[in-house]
Amino acid sequence: MNRVLYWIVLIALQVFVFNHLEFSSYIMPQLFILLLITLPVHLSKHVQVLIAFGLGLIADFFVATPGIHASACLSLMVLRMGLLSRLDLKEQEANKLAFNARTVGIPSFMYTTIILVFFYHLYIFIIENLGAFNVLHVFLTTLLSSSFTLLLIGFVQYVSFNRLSE
Amino acid sequence: MQRLLAFIEHNLHLILFVVLQVVCGFLIFSLNAFQQAAFTHSANAVTSSVNEVVTNVTDYLDLRYQNKELQYQLATQFANSSSGNMVYLNDTFKVKDTLNKPMFSMVPAQVIYNTVHRADNVFVINKGSLDGIKKNMGVISSQGLAGIVLKTSSKYSTVMSLLNTNMKVIPSIKGKEYFTELVWDNESPYYMKIIGLNKLEEIIEGDLITTGRSSLLFPSGIPIGTISKLKSKPNSQYFETRLKTSTDFRSLEYVFVIINQEKEAIEAILPANE
Repeated sequence: MNRVLYWIVLIALQVFVFNHLEFSSYIMPQLFILLLITLPVHLSKHVQVLIAFGLGLIADFFVATPGIHASACLSLMVLRMGLLSRLDLKEQEANKLAFNARTVGIPSFMYTTIILVFFYHLYIFIIENLGAFNVLHVFLTTLLSSSFTLLLIGFVQYVSFNRLSE
Repeated sequence: MQRLLAFIEHNLHLILFVVLQVVCGFLIFSLNAFQQAAFTHSANAVTSSVNEVVTNVTDYLDLRYQNKELQYQLATQFANSSSGNMVYLNDTFKVKDTLNKPMFSMVPAQVIYNTVHRADNVFVINKGSLDGIKKNMGVISSQGLAGIVLKTSSKYSTVMSLLNTNMKVIPSIKGKEYFTELVWDNESPYYMKIIGLNKLEEIIEGDLITTGRSSLLFPSGIPIGTISKLKSKPNSQYFETRLKTSTDFRSLEYVFVIINQEKEAIEAILPANE
């Protein structure tokens, strides 16, 4: 139940707030990918892929970009499988835990998250700009948006920890 | 057979990944600008209400500035036209031409979704075919040219923004038409460039670029932008020209759709290939 609420809150934040940030055309944070990053590790791989596709399509609908987020989410999910296979997650798997800073420790979580977030932003900005590609613009947008998203993820993790530990 | 099934079962996620990725690829790359607009519309059915809620909220934050802008615009319109030239009619302004017969009318609309960061930007307005809006009508803001309508549903329309690599406008500078192209190069949401302006033309930085008479979509004289950089390269016969768009697309909120009442009548007497 808690998890459903968490999903709804994060998607709503993305749709109502972060899709409409207008203080710079370089900052387009995609906070909702935190849902995919923290997906529980015990889920079977094809379920993970389907969830990624579904969430990507929802994201696409709200910003009217057919397929871009869906494609990026799929790739993110497969990259996550690759990254997680190098960590020892048997305990988390057995206890059906989500993948977050609390269950796997801050260093592993940070390492995985930074790679995934940068990958995701680079991926969508490259595809969005395919018609008239501008390396500097894509690079800057990726750098700034990713940094902003990482800050937000840190904040969300911090808040949800404090609430849970009470 | 057993091994094949086992292989499929083992790699089901990868097979799914490839299949879904192909679906995405189809969605992204095989849709042209119009089909993308169609997607935007099916998406609209679900999400436009959400986007409208956001707009309703953010409206308040921007009200003061937008009001000033509207007042300024109304003031200049009144100053430029004798009192009989403007009739206020059911939230549609009619601008009369010299024969006292309305040629262009404008439908005010509000932008409920807008992008500036892609190569092909579009925005969605809250007026549609019920308000008389059709495909290929011109859209202007109070500051200048904004775009062309791509597709309409009953209540909403998708507009191709000037910041779209598919958009081509014929510029007119100081009343002279130049048969060159005004294009967006996806570098900044404030600037565009003009390709093929001959160095022999008498143009200086700061010149106003407007719409001309070669289009039935817009009245002539709607500002597009001002020339911000004019560089003559030594080994070319053309200027390297950049212009700053009149419309600030990052704060685009209120626009007007232009309906040319005489379009069909004029097209009927043009040669067939025009």
